[in-house]
Amino acid sequence: MRVDLTDSLSRLLPGEAFGHSVPSSLWAVLRTGVETVVAPGSTEEVATLLKWASEMGVRVVPIGTGAHMCPRYPRDPFIVLTTSRLKEIQHYEPADLTMTASAGASIRDLSTETAIYGQWLPFDPPDVPNRTLGGLVATGLSGPLWAGYGQLRNHVLGATIVCGDGRALRLGGKVVKNVAGFDILKLMVGSRGELAVITSVTVRLFPLPVVDQLLVLEATDVSELVSTARAVATAPIMPASIILSGTSDGGRLLVRLHGAKVSVEADQKSLEKHTGVSFEVRNTPEAESLLVHKRDSRINAELAVRVWALPSRIGVLLDVLKKVPGVSLNADVYGGSVRAYLPVNLSDIESSLAGLQKDIEELGGTIRALRIPAEVNASSYFAKPLVDEGELAAGLKRAFDPHAVLWGIE
Amino acid sequence: MTGAPAYEALGQALDAQKERLLPCVHCGFCLPACPTYNRLGNEADSPRGRLHLMQAVVEGRLDPSSEAFRTHIDRCLGCRACEPVCPSGVEYGTLLELARETATKAVPQGLPTRFLLKVLGTRALRSPFFFIGRLLRGTGLAALGATVLPSYGPFRAIRLVLAMLASTTRWQPMASEEATSGNTDSGSHDVSRRSRVAVLLGCVQEGLFARINSATVRVLEANGYEVVLVEGQDCCGALHAHGGDLESARMLARSNIRAFKASGADLIAVNAAGCGAAMKDYGILLEGDPDFVQRAEEVALAVRDVSEILASSGPRIGASIPCKIAYDHPCHLLHAQGVEHAPITVLEAVPDAEVHIVAGAEECCGGAGIYGITHPELGGLIGGDKVSAVRACLADVVATPNPGCMMQIGAGLRLEASNEGVIHPVELLDESYRRAGFYRAGGAE
Amino acid sequence: MASLLTGKVSSGMTQPLPSSVASDLAEIVGHEHVITDPDRLLVYESDGLTAYRRSPRAVVLPSSTEEISAVVGLLHSNGIEVIPRGAGTGLSGGALATPEGVIVGTARMNRILKIDVENRIAIAQPGVINARLTEATNPYGLYYAPDPSSQSTCTLGGNVAENSGGPHCLKYGVTARYVTGLTVVLAGGRIVELGGVGRDPYTTLDLVGLFVGSEGCFGIATEIELRLLPITEGVRTLLGIFESVESAGRAVTKIIASGLMPAAVEIVDGPTIEAVEASVFAAGYPLEAGAALVIEFDGTEAGLDLDADRAEQCCLEEGAIEVQRATDPEHRMKLWRARKKAFGAMGRIAPDLLVQDATVPRTKLPEVLAGIDNIGNRYGLKIANVFHAGDGNLHPNILFDRQNQNELELVERASKEIMQLCVDAGGTITGEHGVGVDKREYMTLVHGPAELEAMAAAKRVFDPASLFNPGKVLPAVEVKEANESRSN
Ligand SMILES: Cc1cc2nc3c(=O)[nH]c(=O)nc-3n(C[C@H](O)[C@H](O)[C@H](O)COP(=O)(O)OP(=O)(O)OC[C@H]3O[C@@H](n4cnc5c(N)ncnc54)[C@H](O)[C@@H]3O)c2cc1C
Ligand SMILES: Cc1cc2nc3c(=O)[nH]c(=O)nc-3n(C[C@H](O)[C@H](O)[C@H](O)COP(=O)(O)OP(=O)(O)OC[C@H]3O[C@@H](n4cnc5c(N)ncnc54)[C@H](O)[C@@H]3O)c2cc1C
Ligand code: SF4
Ligand code: SF4
Repeated sequence: MRVDLTDSLSRLLPGEAFGHSVPSSLWAVLRTGVETVVAPGSTEEVATLLKWASEMGVRVVPIGTGAHMCPRYPRDPFIVLTTSRLKEIQHYEPADLTMTASAGASIRDLSTETAIYGQWLPFDPPDVPNRTLGGLVATGLSGPLWAGYGQLRNHVLGATIVCGDGRALRLGGKVVKNVAGFDILKLMVGSRGELAVITSVTVRLFPLPVVDQLLVLEATDVSELVSTARAVATAPIMPASIILSGTSDGGRLLVRLHGAKVSVEADQKSLEKHTGVSFEVRNTPEAESLLVHKRDSRINAELAVRVWALPSRIGVLLDVLKKVPGVSLNADVYGGSVRAYLPVNLSDIESSLAGLQKDIEELGGTIRALRIPAEVNASSYFAKPLVDEGELAAGLKRAFDPHAVLWGIE
Repeated sequence: MTGAPAYEALGQALDAQKERLLPCVHCGFCLPACPTYNRLGNEADSPRGRLHLMQAVVEGRLDPSSEAFRTHIDRCLGCRACEPVCPSGVEYGTLLELARETATKAVPQGLPTRFLLKVLGTRALRSPFFFIGRLLRGTGLAALGATVLPSYGPFRAIRLVLAMLASTTRWQPMASEEATSGNTDSGSHDVSRRSRVAVLLGCVQEGLFARINSATVRVLEANGYEVVLVEGQDCCGALHAHGGDLESARMLARSNIRAFKASGADLIAVNAAGCGAAMKDYGILLEGDPDFVQRAEEVALAVRDVSEILASSGPRIGASIPCKIAYDHPCHLLHAQGVEHAPITVLEAVPDAEVHIVAGAEECCGGAGIYGITHPELGGLIGGDKVSAVRACLADVVATPNPGCMMQIGAGLRLEASNEGVIHPVELLDESYRRAGFYRAGGAE
Repeated sequence: MASLLTGKVSSGMTQPLPSSVASDLAEIVGHEHVITDPDRLLVYESDGLTAYRRSPRAVVLPSSTEEISAVVGLLHSNGIEVIPRGAGTGLSGGALATPEGVIVGTARMNRILKIDVENRIAIAQPGVINARLTEATNPYGLYYAPDPSSQSTCTLGGNVAENSGGPHCLKYGVTARYVTGLTVVLAGGRIVELGGVGRDPYTTLDLVGLFVGSEGCFGIATEIELRLLPITEGVRTLLGIFESVESAGRAVTKIIASGLMPAAVEIVDGPTIEAVEASVFAAGYPLEAGAALVIEFDGTEAGLDLDADRAEQCCLEEGAIEVQRATDPEHRMKLWRARKKAFGAMGRIAPDLLVQDATVPRTKLPEVLAGIDNIGNRYGLKIANVFHAGDGNLHPNILFDRQNQNELELVERASKEIMQLCVDAGGTITGEHGVGVDKREYMTLVHGPAELEAMAAAKRVFDPASLFNPGKVLPAVEVKEANESRSN
């Protein structure tokens, strides 16, 4: 970074904000562009940094862990704004089932605290314990548990954000129903750090389920499980999550049931009646390791895509994806999306991806790159927004980040 | 906005009743219940909109002679479907009558309406009028006209009227009238003596459906009621009240109150839903008449739909009549009187009669007096939907306990050359009793 | 009722529509679906909040997305403001006409376009009545979860615009959770599709989420894709009678803290019970009842009795006089009766009623209720509370008589104090009825100038010339700023 810039910034922020090394968790592909890492200690410091960046025309990329960056990274050099110094729980009222914490707090730390009161955040995207609260909200990922609990976007009650130009805003509040004015809070959920930096978040918590039971069905090929999986998704009960996974070793259907013991047992019976199969039941420690394994074992994959379509199309999507040799698939049957981890030793990544893209789009689905080696241009493998949506998003980007300090939406 | 004084006097009827308007909280719960709003989508054709117009008249912001007020008040079916859904219990039916009075004082009703009300409300004019009607029906001219007349221009209304007349014929599969008029002594049955019941004969009912009146008497007697004859009774006045001619309605009400009071009956059985609803409201109609109000309330309290009386004692089971019946709720029974199951109970007393409730039975058939004639388009639309729903039942016969609805649905079916008959539930019960031999001398089974 | 509450009447002459515009509108939607007669326009002068009234310049009733697009295009190109209207049951004056505005009503757009059972979604036109969607999907074992008390009449378009809630939103969440995609007509009549099940949310921002709750200020929703839920197997309804609203409130806290997840938790306070018992809707509550608590559990039949037992225990521990339980629909309706009839009952005992709407953290309920009581006493006003206790969503109903000019002013002042009280307790100025015109000036209680400007900026992205429902939601200053920046 140019010395004059570093100088002018160091005069604005306290010493603790500087001297941080590039976090080892930062996705390798991004490392080359990093000019410096700044760790503000408060919303005000974030605001100061972004105001300064706006004036200087410097790019800023906010990160939590930096492990799950969207592959649409900036080409020019940038400052990494890490939320690693924003970790405290600001407010936790168990009786209200609400919690406010700073953006850099990890889900693991928050869960440790909420577990004391028998509460939790029912979201399970990949690597969830390591994620930061800000990163979770910025990516808007709920994980397959949204079948039973609804999406993260519905449970974010409030946030403090700093817009690209350094304006700090307090959005929403601490109460469950918040409809006073236009819902720009919702806009922040899933905004990937492209509009503003999130500095704190208020979330709604849930009581931990009394029983967390996992039903398992295995088959030699994932396609054999599709009709059962869809039958579960259209059964009169709502499981907490329905996951279908497949590798060359075979397929597995994982159905998670939450509730009181009697109701979980009854739900299992009714599912078995509805689908005409009988499931294996896995108990907690084993179930958990199975789920965690499915969720996290491939997070460091270098090549990963996510495919979306109507939930009823999940079978045809899997049929296409499983043709890729060495692929590992993870499908959210309720939501209608599949994560596919592809082997990097694919002979020609670009043409393989292009082929997949064509097939998937023919089936009415879309494909998006999650992880992609540096040498491949990721932007071709993004599901494009509709033209009008793109225009509106660009307008909002200009409203929140007028100087395009943050990366993202062009 | 027009200057208030010019029509202040005209708004009086409503104004005096503004307390009745106040409970309307403008919540809009009544909108989806309203057949005119559902079809037109204009809030001026919704109950809340009509109440709002009334309120505007009371506030002096709207001229009751304005085209808007007259049109939208006039376009109301008076079906009162808006009443049971109202959380505040707004008495829409009463307000409508006042609004109609206000509107007709500002600009009198059209000639046909005035003529009809005059005839119905005057005994001396009624008999020749209905005599001609029966003549047209009896000679088959009505049925013929309904078939051959074109459905456009001035013929449209005539065709409808003739179809309505033709539809008042007795449903063929039932035996002839003479056969039933036997001895109606039911005393030898183990039905204990029940209350003394007077029967309202009515105007249209007596004019075109006398068979239903006699069936009512027989059926009540067969169920152990003592039926008393009431001299000096008249048209109930419902149509006058609905038409905004509250003065005539009050006059007729007073005659009836005198007559029924004098009869000493415990209950007054009414077999026309519209008449029953009107009579149950006699207390409200005459609330401004200190000499009559108390008696009016007493009479109102004694009024029952005939099905209520029969259902309350669990009607005697008659002989089997295998048939498929489509039952349709008259608005003035369901919404105005809150009577839903009683007529079905009556039909179910006939073994092997299979009762189906018409889909959307709670919605008006579009009859609403002479609505089909005064509002051919909208009336036709509403009536058309009802006829389709009835036909979809694939029934042999439609049962609905109100002459207006019988004629409206009957005419609709006839004009579509559909074969279902139309009956009043007591007619079927009567026939079933006849077949069971309840009416044979001595009454032995 | 409150229609004579003249304090806020925004009368004044409405400009008639230029006749060429009127005839062009008629060309698009048909002559009978354009209303311009001032007498007829009277019925459109208010929504469910009759304290405000102003006739629109015209009302247009289109029947399709294309017609709405053409109508909006025509009006906007003439610089005429558009006010969307559903069933007009809104309680914040959201559908109130602006002095220059034309109402575009969705009454004729009442078709359910698609029910996709496999994917559990439905696509409906905006004029479809909330309850009709549930009726239509019931045969497939599905239903539409958000259940505002007005569900028998309010429209899905209105629900989207207000992000409406209802008793069962405690467990199931508000409208926003169920709206998965929208077709909207934006400024100038542009038809835009947003979101949709099966679309990758990561391709853009949550534009659907932003549009929901925009109170008709961003555009008109013309097709709405909604998520459906499977009908739950069983229901248990409990009615707890308490001596005081405080003990009922404590029972609520206890139930939630115990880890139970009720579908609905509603409180009816003493003054409301009094009103219900005094009206034609009497439910036969004991006279000493100071509050009634309705608790509902739904889900798998097998677990319900257990949940109900635990909730009953919580009530008894907090001093419930009695607890009744219902399983069959008829008995269930009976237990809900006081809650459902409260609104109408109050209409019968007091000439006028102002329904307020605010949310506080659930744990603050007892102190806020005491505060509201205190405000009522100070102003000599009767305030009855019926509310979604589980969400901390209060509905204080101020009873008054509009004939009494003096009382009117007190109502206004008390109302503002209640808002301040709720905000001070960490709450907000509306839970589900929206801001509309009524709460506009309260917005500064919860939002600073920067937040309000950010909201205005978001509106400008959708509606740069402020031709959709201007003068709503954002306080006057903001609107002025927006206007200025528009002319710049
Ligand atoms: C194996 C694998 C699977 C994945 N699967 C999916 C998937 O299925 N679907 C999918 O959509 N994505 C997927 N991703 C992408 C990724 O999951 C997300 O980016 C992740 O949720 C972010 O969590 P984090 O806290 O670690 O944030 P980070 O990795 O630090 O950041 C993630 C994003 O959030 C922004 N951000 C972080 N903190 C803040 C803040 N405080 N304020 C504003 N912005 C902030 C960053 O700029 C960045 O855009 C996957 C990634 C991997 C490696
Ligand atoms: C007795 C009663 C009980 C109520 N209970 C509840 C309750 O429990 N929960 C609750 O949340 N609300 C409740 N409400 C308030 C009201 O019913 C809701 O706000 C409802 O969503 C409004 O729907 P509507 O069709 O009547 O809309 P309207 O009142 O016509 O309009 C409301 C707003 O939506 C806009 N709008 C309407 N249609 C569209 C469209 N297609 N596109 C864009 N904007 C549009 C209008 O411009 C206006 O700003 C209640 C109201 C009453 C009278
Ligand atoms: S339902 Fe009753 S209170 Fe509501 S608008 Fe209609 S008449 Fe008025
Ligand atoms: S009486 Fe019938 S037609 Fe008239 S307003 Fe009521 S529901 Fe509508």
